[in-house]
Amino acid sequence: MSTTVTRVRIAGAVVAAAAGLAGLAACSSPAPSGGASAPSCEPAKGTVTLQYWNTVPGMDQVVALWNKKNPNIQVQTKNISNDQYGTIGNALKAGKAPELAQVGYDELPYLRTQDAFVDASACSAAPAAKSKFVPWTWSQTSFGGTGVFAFPQDTGPMALFVRSDIFKEHGLEIPKTWDEYATDAQKLHDADPNLSITFFDPNNAEWFNGLLWQNSATMYAYAGDKWHVTVESDHSKQVAGYWQKLIDAKLVRTDLANGSTPMYAAYQKNQIATYVGAAWGYSMFRDNLPDQAGKWTIVPMPTWGSSAASGDWGGSTVAFMKGNTHLYESVAFNSWLNTDPEALALENKLGGLYPAALAGSALPALSQGVPYYNNEKIFDVFAESSKNIDTSFTWGPTQKTVNLALQDAMAKAAAGGGTLTDALSSAQATALKSMADQAIPAVAGD
Amino acid sequence: MTDIATGTTGAVAAPGDLRRHNGGGPRASTIVAFLLPFFLPFVLFYLVPIAYAVWQSLLVVRRTAGQYGTSYTAFGGVTQYAQVFQNGEFWASIGRIALFGIVQVPVMLFVALIMALLLDTPLLRLKAFFRVSAFMPYAVPGVIAAIMWSFLYSPQLSPVVDVLKGIGLHADFLGPGAVLWSAANVSTWLWTGYNMLIMFSALQSIPQELYEAATIDGASNWAIAWRIKVPIIAPSIILTTVFSIIGTLQLYAEPAVLRQISSNISSTFTPNMLAYAVASGNNYQQAAAISVVIAVITFVLSFGFMRLTAKRAGL
Repeated sequence: MSTTVTRVRIAGAVVAAAAGLAGLAACSSPAPSGGASAPSCEPAKGTVTLQYWNTVPGMDQVVALWNKKNPNIQVQTKNISNDQYGTIGNALKAGKAPELAQVGYDELPYLRTQDAFVDASACSAAPAAKSKFVPWTWSQTSFGGTGVFAFPQDTGPMALFVRSDIFKEHGLEIPKTWDEYATDAQKLHDADPNLSITFFDPNNAEWFNGLLWQNSATMYAYAGDKWHVTVESDHSKQVAGYWQKLIDAKLVRTDLANGSTPMYAAYQKNQIATYVGAAWGYSMFRDNLPDQAGKWTIVPMPTWGSSAASGDWGGSTVAFMKGNTHLYESVAFNSWLNTDPEALALENKLGGLYPAALAGSALPALSQGVPYYNNEKIFDVFAESSKNIDTSFTWGPTQKTVNLALQDAMAKAAAGGGTLTDALSSAQATALKSMADQAIPAVAGD
Repeated sequence: MTDIATGTTGAVAAPGDLRRHNGGGPRASTIVAFLLPFFLPFVLFYLVPIAYAVWQSLLVVRRTAGQYGTSYTAFGGVTQYAQVFQNGEFWASIGRIALFGIVQVPVMLFVALIMALLLDTPLLRLKAFFRVSAFMPYAVPGVIAAIMWSFLYSPQLSPVVDVLKGIGLHADFLGPGAVLWSAANVSTWLWTGYNMLIMFSALQSIPQELYEAATIDGASNWAIAWRIKVPIIAPSIILTTVFSIIGTLQLYAEPAVLRQISSNISSTFTPNMLAYAVASGNNYQQAAAISVVIAVITFVLSFGFMRLTAKRAGL
C-alpha cells in the first residue's frame, strides 16, 4: 500500500469523524425554527411513492391491493414491530420520517411534542372524514381541535369475557356492575380457593388506564398555556381503591402477565373465571384455548353505578408525519386504508384489527356469530362499548414514562409494599417531573 | 533474527540498522495500515459514541411556548448529573447490583475455580466431556438462557415448583425477595463455564516440573492445588473478577427477560434498565448522564480492584 493512499484515507477518516461530530453537535444546537410554512394540498404531477410504516401483520397485502388499483399513488410498507417508537423517533431525529406511520392513541401527544406530525386539514377531504369514525377516536387524532394529524385505524373497546360454565356451576348470574363483580369474586373464591374471578396484571399500565378511562378519570387537560395533570383524582382513586380491595382479599391473582404462557396455563386449568379485555382479545382465547370453545361468552364491562361508560385498551392511528410533501395522496390512501370496506375486511382478517371506522360494524366478519363463542354476535358488544367511550379523555405528552412509573408502583402494591392509590401518586409525580424534564409547562390539579 | 532488508540470516541487526535499511516513510505507513482496521472502528464506534454521550449528558431540553411548542436543546452544565445523584431509583438499582455482585461473583468464581482444579487433576476421567459440558451454557445467548430459566421459575409451568410442592415446599422463585437471586442463578449458570475455561487454560500453562518438585517434597494433591496452582493462576482469577464486576454493573438481559413473567422486577431494577427506561421516555440527556455515571463507577471499581490486588497478581 502506498503512503499517499494511506494518508489520504486517514485524512478522509478524520474528516468523516469530525464531520460526524459536527453533525451531532448541530443536531443539538439551540435552533428552534419559527414554524414551517403551511402545508399545501396540491396533487402531485406524475407518480408518487409514499412510505407507510406499521406493525400490522399482513399489511403488505392490503397495500398491494391499493397499489394495484392506484398506479399513480404507490405505497411502500415497512414493518417496524420490532421497535415501533424507537424507529419512528430515530427517523424523526434524522429528518427521514415516512409520509405515514402507525401511532397508538396514547403516544399521539408524546409524538406531537416531538413535532412529529403535519396537519392534513389543508386537504378538505381530511376534516370531512370525521363523520366516518367512532367519535372518541376522532377527538384523539384531532387533539380535540380542528387539525387532522392522523386517521384512526383500530380500537380496543373493552368488554368482559366470561366462563359462563363456571358461573352456572356456582349458581351465579353474570355481574353487571363492579359491585356485583366484587361480590361474585368473593363467592367464587369461597366455593373454590383455587378459583379467582380474574387477574390483576401489575405490569400493564395500558390495561389499567382503560379501567380509569371507563370511570371518566381524566388524567390530563390543557388550559391557560399549561397542562393540568390529574392522574391522581377522585375518579382514578375509586378505581384504584376497588382493585386494591380485591388484591388485599386475595380475590384476584397478581402473578400473571397478560398474554403470557403462564396466563393461558391458569385459564387452561380453570383457575380464572373472567377476563377484562378488549375487542382484539377475542382471538387470544380462540387460538390459545381451543378446547374451551363454547364455554366463553362476552358481555359489556361491569359498570360504575348506573353509568354505561366503557373504556378503551389499545388501538392505533395512521399519522401524517412531519416532512410529508404529498398530503393529497396521503389523505387519499389513508382514507381508503381506514374506511374502505374491502380494506377493513382484509385488515381484520389478516391483522385482527377491530376498525375505528363506523363502517366496520357492517363488515360480514364483524356482524356474524363467532363459532368459538357459541355463535354469539360478540362484535355487537364491542360496537356498543365503543359508542360508550368518553370522548374527552386525553393522553399525556410523556405517557410512556408515566406508564412505566405506574407499573413499577402497581407491582409494589401487588407485592404488598404500598397500595394502588400510592401508585397513582407516584404516576402523578412522574408525570410532572417528566414534563418538566421535557420543558413542557404543567401544573398539578385542575 | 532475520534481517529482511538485506536478506542475510544469522546476523543480529540492531534497531538502528533496521531503521536505516528500511527507511522511515514506508515503515510508518505499514504501521498505519495495520493499525487502521482496528483504529478506525475504534474511533467511530467507541470513542465517538462516548464523546457523544458525554456531550448529550451536558444538555437540557428547552421548548418554545405553547402546548406543543418546538423543543430544542441547550447547554445545561451538570444539571443532568445533579438529577442522577438525586434519583432514588438510581441508587436503589446500584444497591441491588452491589448486593448481587457481592454474593454472585464470589460464588460463581469459587465454583469455576473448583471446576478448573478438578479438570486439571490427573484423577478425573472423561475430561473433554466435562470441559465441554461445563462450557456449554456460555454458548447459549443470555436472553435464551433467561427465557429457559423463566419456564423453570414460573409457578404455572415449572416442574421444579411442582416437585417441591409435592414434598411440601412452596417455592416462589419470582417473589419480591427471591427474584434477584433467581436472576443471579441464571448469570451463574451462564458464566461459570466461561470463567472456568480461563482459569483452566492458565492451569495448563504451569510447567509439570513444579508438580514433580512438589511431589518429591511430599506435597499432597490438595497442597499442590491450594499452594501452587491457585497462587500461580491468581492473575487469571483477578481477570475473571474484573470481567465479572463489569458484567454485574451492566446486568440487563436476565432481569429484563424475567420481568416478562414477574412484576417484582421493576423497569429500574438495574442501572442499565433504568438508563433504557429513561431513554425510551425520550429523555436521552438524562439517559446519557446515567450511562456516564455507570461507566465511571465501573471504571473505578475494576481499576480499584486491580490496584488493590496488583502485587498479588503480578500485574
